[in-house]
Amino acid sequence: MEALAGFANGMVVALQPLHLALMIVGVLVGVIAGALPGISFVNAMAISLPFTYLMSPLVAMVFLGGIYVGGVFGGSISSLLVNIPGDPDSLPSCWDGYPITLRDGPERSLSIAITASAIGGLFSAFLLSFASPPFARLALSFDQPEFFAATFMGLVSVLSISKGNLLLSLLSLFLGVAIGSIGTDPLYGVTRLTFGIGLLDNGIDFVVVMIGLFAIGEVIDALASRQGYDFNVKRKGAMKVLGLRDIWKLRGSISRGTGVGSVIGIIPGAGAAVGALVAYGVERQVNRRRSEFGTGIEDGLAAPEASKNATTGTAMIPLLTLGIPGSAGAAIMLAALTLHGVQPGPLLYSKNPEMLYAIFASFTLANLFMVAISVLVARAFGMLMKTDPTVICAFIVVFSVVGAFGVRNNIADVYICLGFGIAGFYMKRFGFPTAPLVLGVILGPLAESYFLTSMANYHDDLSIFFTRPRSGALMALAFGFIFWALAPELRAVWRRVRG
Amino acid sequence: MDRQIRVRIACTIALLAAACASAQAQERKYPSRPVDMIVNFGPGGGADQLGRIMSKLLEPVLGVPVPVSNIAGASGNAGLSKVLGSTPDGYTLGTLTGLSVSAWAGGLGKLQIRDFAFIAVVQSSPSMLFVPNDSRILDYRRMLDAAKANPGKLRVATAGYGTLDDIAVKFLATKGFPMVNVPFAKPGERYMSPLGGHSEILFEEPGDVVQFIDSKQYRPIVVFGARRHPAFPDTPASGEFGHDVDLPNWRAIVAAAKVPADTLAALNAAVAKALDSPDWRKFCGETYTCIERKSPEESRQFAQRNYDDVSKFMKDYGMIK
Repeated sequence: MEALAGFANGMVVALQPLHLALMIVGVLVGVIAGALPGISFVNAMAISLPFTYLMSPLVAMVFLGGIYVGGVFGGSISSLLVNIPGDPDSLPSCWDGYPITLRDGPERSLSIAITASAIGGLFSAFLLSFASPPFARLALSFDQPEFFAATFMGLVSVLSISKGNLLLSLLSLFLGVAIGSIGTDPLYGVTRLTFGIGLLDNGIDFVVVMIGLFAIGEVIDALASRQGYDFNVKRKGAMKVLGLRDIWKLRGSISRGTGVGSVIGIIPGAGAAVGALVAYGVERQVNRRRSEFGTGIEDGLAAPEASKNATTGTAMIPLLTLGIPGSAGAAIMLAALTLHGVQPGPLLYSKNPEMLYAIFASFTLANLFMVAISVLVARAFGMLMKTDPTVICAFIVVFSVVGAFGVRNNIADVYICLGFGIAGFYMKRFGFPTAPLVLGVILGPLAESYFLTSMANYHDDLSIFFTRPRSGALMALAFGFIFWALAPELRAVWRRVRG
Repeated sequence: MDRQIRVRIACTIALLAAACASAQAQERKYPSRPVDMIVNFGPGGGADQLGRIMSKLLEPVLGVPVPVSNIAGASGNAGLSKVLGSTPDGYTLGTLTGLSVSAWAGGLGKLQIRDFAFIAVVQSSPSMLFVPNDSRILDYRRMLDAAKANPGKLRVATAGYGTLDDIAVKFLATKGFPMVNVPFAKPGERYMSPLGGHSEILFEEPGDVVQFIDSKQYRPIVVFGARRHPAFPDTPASGEFGHDVDLPNWRAIVAAAKVPADTLAALNAAVAKALDSPDWRKFCGETYTCIERKSPEESRQFAQRNYDDVSKFMKDYGMIK
């Protein structure tokens, strides 16, 4: 009851013109930054950080929160329109989303994505508003083995996107893990796989790999194609929020995605990309039409969309209740708060509950406004479809180079990105799957550090991943997926052995 | 396709033009254009806070903007290489922390103290051990007893191997108190581990866990060094137990070593003015990092001494050859 009254008061504060206006500007900035391939919303948040000095801590949080919520969704716009993920978290949206775009028009895929994201985001914002303390306790009960198990689930999800060619997908995945391990290792400070090249000492960031493979690779493909290049996207109707009947049809995937995302959100360091990947993997295993995934199944788009936005609210829970950021976006908000002399953590609850509830309320509002703003931005991007593809390609190159440089202000990243562009072109031509590689680069280093820390914490006892109840359940699920996916293969081998 | 090529050529020309523009315009009174502040860690950390506050305080003193850019990676070496790679004209400053210097001592990279001109060491923070407020480890004495009674049972959450944290754990092991070093790549995970009961002790500098101290989630049990810290009069110093190990994490503002002496003097004076401001007093007080004023030469010696200390420990403990 007290929470409800607090939330109502917070809503009054969040609806004040200044707060509302900056929140909307934030969402707009986030959606656009997210949608531009190369420019990630985390970049946009970091760039906006100095502007927040001029604001009060609350306004700063409202503004950055807007960018965060809008940015996590925004990447899907380019995933769905041109099959180039605008942000790593929108990668799974390409797999079933783009086929839907090709078949039923961009209006259908965008409507599903926006609706699913908004539902996931709203649910997560409600958890943040009303269930922070229990979720904070849940977050504390997780330890490195659980984090490892969740990441392992994400890696296993590669089996679900292999589309028939398991061996090539696994090869691609392990190549990605190897690329992810290049550079200075996170615990010992030893350089690996750098071949003495100084450029590689800092490792290869997964954002750079993704921009190269998908954005630059696509442009090279366009340059190399003899006949006129076209993104093949035709408009077929109007963009709208899904009706209740459509939402009811997708209820299973949306609620599973929301559940997965809400829990992954509280894991520090995992974030929206892992949430979307795991949600897609889970959906691919439990959905009735799992065998058709990858051909434009609406559940396969709704699940990762709901999941990635469901990470936004819960990622704020450890930040605001414990002072521990749950994602890269939340880390920048922590920086904004500390620069204002506000210490997030339990004290915030007792000292400044008004501000907290205003933040909660504005997160809720941001998810609602995201729908309207995304429709507008998607329309503007839809117009681009009428533009000459060569012009679009030129812009993609510019944004990609700027984005690759912006990851760490490092020119080496631009060269690496262009290199991966060429690799991406050939991979596409020879039918070598690229998505598992990106997955490996994203999840490999996470899995490594979780694994090593688990080992240090539990006296090098490998069984810890199976004996801790939560981690054991996740591992059992992951191994279940592996056997499920390999069943046809194993059966064939068995038959050959017998006969 | 033609258009593509034209676009690329145009971009190249624009970039070259920008590069040329920045190479010109010197020879005037220092500073006549913006001074870059390169923070060698990502946004949100201690080095970032220093860079941003210093930029805010230096702007009115120098009379030019001091934009901050974060160049993280390789224990801070990536950003520092950038400082060294720019023209040594005093228009590129950087943050340098003890963490990077101990990484050099551990053999990471090829940077050295003498590559840098020290404008001033401006912060120094003690290293401390913390336990969750409800921990059964009541104080340092009892922690030592528990470590001796159950060798290798107590777990210390740290920032990694080859760090100051690692040295502290190894030091205690040589004194007969073996504990396990549990390295965490991300600070957030490190703070969560003892709080969630997954490890017992946290190694950290107090400024980074202020919110946990104030909210009574963590309490300090010892400060490494000969004397107690004035902000924590009830927390014993390791010296009181005969553990002579001083592992401060310090932060400095540096430039490339070839920066002219008069520019360096101007910068030191500007930083000195910034350090006198109430804003700075408040900042260093809140982060427990205030130290007395140091000249460029004193700063360099301080850094060198720290490097030598850390190298010696690392050699003794077989962390380097």
